[in-house]
Amino acid sequence: MRRRNFLALGSAGIVTAGTRNRTRLETSSCGCSFLPQAAGPLGLEAFADTNSGLKISGLKVFGVSLTPNSDRPYVFVKLETNQGLIGWGEGTLEGKAGAVMACINDFRDFLVGADPMQVEHIWQSMYVHSFYRAGPVIGSAIAGIDQALWDLRGKALGMPVYKLLGGPFDPRGVRGYYHIDGAGRERLAEIRETAREQGITCVKGGIPGYYEWLERRPKIDRAIKAIQLLREALGPDIDIAVDFHAKTSPSVASIIVKEVEPLNLLFVEEPCPPENVQAMAKIARRSTTPIATGERLIASYGCRELIEMGVVDILQTDINHVGGITALWKVAATANVSSISMAPHACEGPIGGLATIQVDAAMPNFLVQEICGQVKPNPTDKIWEEWLGFPAMRMVDGHFPLSEKPGLGFELSEASLAKYPFGGTRPMARVFHEDGSVAEW
Amino acid sequence: MNQITMQRRARLLAGFAPQAVQAAKPAALDITEIRHFPIREPVSGNRYSLLRIKTRSELTGWGECPYDPNTDTKTLESAWIGRPANGYATIPPSTPFRAALDIALLDILGKAANAPVYRILGGPTRSKVRAYSSPSAEDFPVAVIEVPKPVWRNQGKAYQNQILELANAVSPDRDFILTANGLLTPGDAASVGRSVESKHPLWFDEPCPHSNIDAVRKVANETVVPLGFGAGIEDPGIFQALLREGLIDLVRPEIGIFGISGTRRVAALAEPYYVAVAPRHNGGPVTTAAAIHIAASIPNFFIQHVPRPAAEADRAMRHEIVSPALETGKSGFLEVTKSPGLGITVNEAALEKYHAS
Repeated sequence: MRRRNFLALGSAGIVTAGTRNRTRLETSSCGCSFLPQAAGPLGLEAFADTNSGLKISGLKVFGVSLTPNSDRPYVFVKLETNQGLIGWGEGTLEGKAGAVMACINDFRDFLVGADPMQVEHIWQSMYVHSFYRAGPVIGSAIAGIDQALWDLRGKALGMPVYKLLGGPFDPRGVRGYYHIDGAGRERLAEIRETAREQGITCVKGGIPGYYEWLERRPKIDRAIKAIQLLREALGPDIDIAVDFHAKTSPSVASIIVKEVEPLNLLFVEEPCPPENVQAMAKIARRSTTPIATGERLIASYGCRELIEMGVVDILQTDINHVGGITALWKVAATANVSSISMAPHACEGPIGGLATIQVDAAMPNFLVQEICGQVKPNPTDKIWEEWLGFPAMRMVDGHFPLSEKPGLGFELSEASLAKYPFGGTRPMARVFHEDGSVAEW
Repeated sequence: MNQITMQRRARLLAGFAPQAVQAAKPAALDITEIRHFPIREPVSGNRYSLLRIKTRSELTGWGECPYDPNTDTKTLESAWIGRPANGYATIPPSTPFRAALDIALLDILGKAANAPVYRILGGPTRSKVRAYSSPSAEDFPVAVIEVPKPVWRNQGKAYQNQILELANAVSPDRDFILTANGLLTPGDAASVGRSVESKHPLWFDEPCPHSNIDAVRKVANETVVPLGFGAGIEDPGIFQALLREGLIDLVRPEIGIFGISGTRRVAALAEPYYVAVAPRHNGGPVTTAAAIHIAASIPNFFIQHVPRPAAEADRAMRHEIVSPALETGKSGFLEVTKSPGLGITVNEAALEKYHAS
C-alpha cells in the first residue's frame, strides 16, 4: 500500500499528496462501509447537466515563513483548473501551520475533479462530511480552499468578488485600522499626526502585561492609565479600539471596562476568552463601551449563541479561520439581524486580507477592517508588495481600496514565495505568571 | 436588550462613517432605465408588478414583486438610475419594489457574467428543485390540505376528526402539507397538530398567527408536527425569534418581500439551527424563476410552492409572458435552468395585453 507522501516539508515548503490510493475496506468496527470510490468528488453525476465545464485539476499547499522562526507561517492554497485558471486562498492558523497544511491535503478528494463554481456545495461537503464539524484546524483549511474557489469563480465570471456579493456599499473602499501597540506618549503624538495626514480614522492598541483571575490595584490602575493615555495622546477625533486579547477574566475586564467608559472607545476586544458566551455577556451587560469578539469562532454555527442573545456589539470573525468568504458572509448576514456590526480580524498574510475586504464591501453592517500593519509601512508590507506588485492592505484616505480586477484581484507566482521557505510549525507566545502558572495572552 | 445595551448600540450606530455613495465613474453596469409593468391575471385577478431594468451596456434585467397601487417608480428611479447594477446587496429594506429590484439586478449580473444567477451566488447546490402546487397536480404530487374554516373560536374533537379524515383520504404513499393560513387559535392549532402528527404531514403551515410568540410556543410544545411560518413577515428578526426558541421547523420568507438575496440571508440565519427554507411565492412566473435560483444556491432548501391558477386562461397567460415554461414539474421537481441570468425571456407585447391598470 502506497502511503500518502503526507507532509513534504521540503525546502520549497510545498505539500503535495501522492497518487490517490483506493483500497476497499469492507466494514469497519463502527459499521461504516467504505466502498470503492470513483475518481473525483462523490455526487458529481447529479450535476452533469449544470456544471460550468471548469474543473479543478490540482491542489497545492504552501507554507511560507517570513522569518525562519515565525509563529505564523502563511498557509497558502493554490487551485489549478483544466482551463488554466488559477485560484489562491489563505488558511494561515497561528501556531498550527503543519496541521492546517495536512488538513487542506485531506480535502484533496473533495476538490480534484469538482466544478469550482459550486463553492457553496463544496463548502457544505467539506464541513458536513468532516463529521466532527469544524474547529480551528478544519475551519482554517476550509477557509483557504474557499478563498481559492472564490478567486477562481471571480476570474471565470470576469468580476471582482465584492461585485458578485452585491457590493460595494462604498466605492471609496473599506474603512480600516492599523495597530499602535506599545507606543508611548511621543510616538502616539506622531501617530496622531500621520493618521491625520493619511486620513486614518481608527487605530487599535492593547493593555500591558498579563492578568490573574482577580487583580491587584496597581495592575488595574496601570491598565486603565494605558487606555487613558491613548485617548489623551491621540485626541478626540480618532476612533480607538482596545484589544484585551482575552488576557483578563470577566471579573477583571468588567472593572477596567467600567473605568474607561468616559473615553468613548470604539470597542473593547475579547475582554475574556471566547468559549463561554454567558461570561462575555456578564461583561457586556454592565458596560456602555461596545464589546467585540469572534476572531477564534468558526462558521456561523460558532457565532449563533452570541448573535441570537445579542451579547456583543461587534463580531470579528477572521476570514482565514471562520471558513472563508462563504462563512464570513453568512456570519455577517446572521449578525445583521441582531444589529451586530462586523469588524473582521486579520493578522495573517495578504491573501486573507484581500479576501476579507471583498466581503466587507458587501456587508450592510460593516464597521471597520483590521490589518496587523502599522501607520508607517514595515518590512512585511514590503514583502507583500514584492509578491503582489502593489501595496496590499495599505490604506488610502483611511480605506482599503477595492480593485476592479476579477476574483480576489491579484496575481502571485510560486517562485516569489520560494524566497521564504517553510520554517516548520512554531508555537505562539507562551507566557506565565510570576509563580510559573499559565497566563493568557 | 437592557438600557445599557441600547445606549451602546445607539452610540455605535452613530459612529458609523457616513457611507455616502460618491458618484463613481460611468460604468457598463450603470442603471439607465427602470420601467414598471403592472400585470393582472385575467380570471383570478391576481396582480403583480414586473420591473424592467436596463444598463448602459444595454443589458436588460427582469424582476417581480407584489402589486401595490400606492407605489410608483419615481423614488426608485431617483435612487438607482446611475448606480451600478451589481449593487444588489446595497438595496435598503425600505425600498419600494425592493424584491423586484433585487431580482432584476441579479438577472443583469448573471447576464453580464454569462452565467445563471445561482452560479453567481455559489451554486448549484442541487440539480433539481422539489416543488408543490396548490391545488396539487399530476406533475406536483404533494397534496395540500387546507383546514376547514373554523366555526367557533375554539373547535372541539369533531373538528380534529374532520381534519384527520381529510388526512386519511390521502393515500399513504403521498406526502401532504396541512395549512391553516394562521386562522386557528393556538389551542386548536396544537390539538389539530397533535391529532395529525402520526400521519406524518410534511409540515403544518401557518397553524396560528405568529405575532404572539408565547402562543406559538404552546403549539410547538404540544406537538411534534413540523411548523412552518413566514406569511407577511418583513422583519428577519421575527424568524430569528422563532428560531432561537426552536419554534419553527420550516422558514418561509416571501420572495415578493425579500427578493433573491434577502431570502438567501434568511436562509443563512436558519442554517445554524438546522432549519430549512421553503420560500413563499404567490406571484407570477418571474418569481418562479427567482425561486429556482434561490433553491439552487442555498444549502438548506426544502421545497418551493408554485402558484397554479385554477383557470386555464390564467395558466396560459403565465406561459405567454415568460418563456421557457419553468412552472411545469417533472415528478414533483422543477428543472434548474442553464441560461445566463434568471434564464427567462419576457414577452413585452404580452405584458401590454395583460396590463393591470
